[in-house]
Amino acid sequence: MGITCEEVWRDISDYVDDELDPKQRTALEEHFAECRHCAAVLEGTCNVIRLYRDERALALPKGFHDRLHKRLDQTFTLGPKERIHTSRRAVLAWALTAAAAVPLGFALFSAKRIILPRLGHESPSGPPDSPPITGLVAVSQDSDDKVFHVPSCPYLHGKPKFLPAAEAVREGYAPCPICIGKHKPEKKG
Amino acid sequence: MPVCATTNCEGNDTRNDQIRANEELLISRILEGEKDLFLELIRPYQRTVYATLISMLGTKEDAEDVTQDVLLKALARLHQFRRESAFGTWLIQIAINEARMRRRKLRRGIMFSLTSGPDDDETYVPKDFADWREIPSEALERSEIREALGKALTLLEEHYRLAFILRDVNGMSITETANVLGITRGAVKTRLRRARLMLRDILSPGLQQGGHVDLTFKEVRKPWE
Repeated sequence: MGITCEEVWRDISDYVDDELDPKQRTALEEHFAECRHCAAVLEGTCNVIRLYRDERALALPKGFHDRLHKRLDQTFTLGPKERIHTSRRAVLAWALTAAAAVPLGFALFSAKRIILPRLGHESPSGPPDSPPITGLVAVSQDSDDKVFHVPSCPYLHGKPKFLPAAEAVREGYAPCPICIGKHKPEKKG
Repeated sequence: MPVCATTNCEGNDTRNDQIRANEELLISRILEGEKDLFLELIRPYQRTVYATLISMLGTKEDAEDVTQDVLLKALARLHQFRRESAFGTWLIQIAINEARMRRRKLRRGIMFSLTSGPDDDETYVPKDFADWREIPSEALERSEIREALGKALTLLEEHYRLAFILRDVNGMSITETANVLGITRGAVKTRLRRARLMLRDILSPGLQQGGHVDLTFKEVRKPWE
């Protein structure tokens, strides 16, 4: 016997794969002819490979093809349509957004051009339907809150000082959101 | 010629070239819009993808689910297939990546590395089952035999299992197996040797009992322990 069993076990897989050179191959074949154990190992190894290679081993589960075809059919048929629908929906959504954005943008533009200048020149102001503030407004001499009120405002604290509303604005006073909101100051100069 | 009739040799014949040429034609037609041909393209690979995935994921349900994902992904990415490798190899690479992602998602990632792990180069000593007889292919009609084959695979560490699946179940060449796993041909050969001998030792006691299958794995000592 030219080679040992251990050498055969080391090379037996390469023998099965025909990865040995002719000399090694011949040596193994001579060994198999004489060694029952190694011949059995070879047969067993080939048997294992043959069994696993058979399509029935590790076979696809029953119904696999139907389920796969169904899914692929959905992809083939629904897929492109779905993409088209998605695309149409996206275009529609963008169109609606744009349509909504135009008047909104116009409204904002108008607010900036029309309302804000009015606020700047005419404040303090209340709601458009509020009665104008006539006469004087009051500011507190004891507080640093720089807020002016109608003289009867309960939120006016400390000793009051009365002055025209326009002058209060010029001096940096802001209208009291509680009391002035109900009135509109009379436009002065 | 290989000893076992079912084992492929390296780049062995013109048949592979014909298959590849046919696949390339199919791929071109699919990309031009004949998507129904995709079923024809994937038909030879459905089982190999599934076998690879069941060896990595462990359950039939996960393996089927991911197999479908892989095939759909292959259709979606077909234009990216660069034809540097065989279509089947490309498909298996997608399958292995998908299985890794699925395991990560299922938090089953701590199993075995595909490329690391002990490639034990020590000589494996096969058990002495001198009375092994050839198992007739009809035996595979029996569900317990099929289950036994599946269960025996799970007893191997993943790096042995995958090398065996790619080479002996999917019929890839050693070079293709090495490319897919990102290891050398030598490492593939080492893993194959161990996997084949281990499976032979696991299955021999149960399969050789004259038609009576007794694959009570708990009674079989893992020979590599």
